[in-house]
Amino acid sequence: MTAEPVAAASPVTVAKDVGMGQVLDHVRQPEEIRAPHVVEFRDVSKTYNYGQANQFTAIRGVNFVVADLPDKGEFVCILGPSGCGKSTILKMIAGLEPQHPPTTGDVLVLGKPVTGPGADRGMVFQDYTSFDNRTVLDNIAFGLECRGVARHDRHALARYWIEQAGLNVATDQYKYPHELSGGMRQRVAIARTLILRPRIILMDEPFGALDPQTRMNMQDLLVGLWREVQATVFFVTHSIEEAVFLGDRVYIMSTGPGRIEKELEIEPADRPALEMARVPRFQETVYYIRELIAELEEQGAGSTAREA
Amino acid sequence: MSDAKKSEPAAEPSSGVPADTVVPSSTSGRGMQLRLAAPTAPGAGSKPAQPGGGGTKSLRKPVPKWLALLLGVACILTVFGLWWLLTLGVSEERILPYNTIPSPKETFDPEQIRSLWFDSALTRNLIASLRRVVLGFALASAIGIPLGILAGCFPWCNAFLAPINVFGRNIPIAALIPLTFALFGLGELQKVMFIFIAAVAFVMMDTATAIADVSSRYIDTAFTLGASRRQTIMKVLVPLAMPRVFNSLRLLFGLAFGYIMLAELVTESGSAGGLGFIINTAQRRGVREPILLILMVIPAVALAIDRTLYMMQKSLFPYQYASSGLLHNAWRGLAHAGEDLKRVFFSSQPLDPAQQAALASAKAASTARPSNVS
Repeated sequence: MTAEPVAAASPVTVAKDVGMGQVLDHVRQPEEIRAPHVVEFRDVSKTYNYGQANQFTAIRGVNFVVADLPDKGEFVCILGPSGCGKSTILKMIAGLEPQHPPTTGDVLVLGKPVTGPGADRGMVFQDYTSFDNRTVLDNIAFGLECRGVARHDRHALARYWIEQAGLNVATDQYKYPHELSGGMRQRVAIARTLILRPRIILMDEPFGALDPQTRMNMQDLLVGLWREVQATVFFVTHSIEEAVFLGDRVYIMSTGPGRIEKELEIEPADRPALEMARVPRFQETVYYIRELIAELEEQGAGSTAREA
Repeated sequence: MSDAKKSEPAAEPSSGVPADTVVPSSTSGRGMQLRLAAPTAPGAGSKPAQPGGGGTKSLRKPVPKWLALLLGVACILTVFGLWWLLTLGVSEERILPYNTIPSPKETFDPEQIRSLWFDSALTRNLIASLRRVVLGFALASAIGIPLGILAGCFPWCNAFLAPINVFGRNIPIAALIPLTFALFGLGELQKVMFIFIAAVAFVMMDTATAIADVSSRYIDTAFTLGASRRQTIMKVLVPLAMPRVFNSLRLLFGLAFGYIMLAELVTESGSAGGLGFIINTAQRRGVREPILLILMVIPAVALAIDRTLYMMQKSLFPYQYASSGLLHNAWRGLAHAGEDLKRVFFSSQPLDPAQQAALASAKAASTARPSNVS
């Protein structure tokens, strides 16, 4: 493996089959993709507290592109060890401070530079962010309320989305977040984002705090909902299984400072998460990525040792 | 038998309660535990310890409500007992003479109570005091809360208001009285403004802190759901901070109720009224009984107010405290009415075509199988 996969960019993409996935020989660069781009990063770096003692570079020289597939978004997973800048990339797409704006480079969404957050880029966080003072119904209708949709309309649509998210309208709509379990809260968070039909959905380890069984149920739910809304999803996760199950495309990042090392294309999963985990081809991809990450971490440790 | 009884509390930390929650420092704690537990190990093994029973190593263990009440009553009885002892006997033989403190019997004399109630017009003066506190405090809230919200949302605003906060929080409140006389004269206005000045910096500061302490992930969420900055403040930050703001208002109101006595004690005109005025008059006449009685009325009234506000607080924020949420629902009803009124003047935004399609398909599905609904 080359130390600088970005530098080795060539116009032809050679793929290596690994189980359900195909490993690209380099991370695709914006110039290579003819189709319109949903999101592109051009040589993006982010340094916090620049010029101070606690200066810290989260990501450096990040280049990638996600193409706009007509009538069908792509499910992009970003995988990597903690502190590799996964969330930084996500929040830069969202336009949230302090990650936005980038220190150098350009973050483009649908060809335009990101200027700030907006409802076209919905986000689901790992921490529970349901508004405690609002019922499930009013939580899900929040975005429509901000948009100025009349109460009758927004509540009707919110009830539809309560059902879509696998909650029960009759029993759950007037509950407050503190009466819900972690999984139910994340269902509310997902419904609250999807009701606005965002072009891009950003998910920052949304199932990280859930137990394994709930997590798999939520993965199945998400696959079903995503097919309906046809958005491009960026999904940050620690879990390799989750990334291989959900992702059409997986980016693997390394730390110190964070950058994208590998890009994989994955076949869509054709069965629920629990059954998928038993398929040998699925496991082959998971093991390949696990070894790849271990290798990257070793290299990372070596390079930091050399720097020190 | 007596041996076994004695051993029970000592053995408990090792058997009944998990060691890591009870013993903070592991090495010294374990040594002590062993020493305590060793001679009584058989007894502890045969008899299961009561969960959370009164071990020697339990701290901050809540007491049952009846016991708490009983202990409170016991404290009152102790104080009254001391009072009774110190003022026992004929006036000359007392430890504390009549001129210092009258005995309980003399204080609770029906004639004294009647005189306080009717001649000194206790109710009227109490209401006069309360009116001043409520007015001054309402003014402090009306100005302090919005400023606090601004300060909490915008650090530059907080920086601008910081000197006022430093002044308001550190000035000895009694030192303001001469200034308020000079500024607002001797009448009602002076007393209301005194409460206002005393409270406004605290209200502002507590509101700003409550707003600033709302986790920024709520702001991020609101922004990514398309909320504007104003909407994020009004629909997210303020409602999420309100339980804390109300809680601090309740505590500050108790403080302000104490301050009003101060303002009424230091008064130049004789006809101002208020509880402080009764104390002041009694002081000048040299009678002690009304003073003692009022000193007992004040905490009782303060407690009643505090409990009332606490009930309101619970009712306003049912998601924070277990309650029926009557006031919360009333507030929501008002908000809905306000929204409907707004719709009379401003047209609402229609749903997207895609959203309408989803809604229509949901309706079609629910009418197709009506038995499945609800």
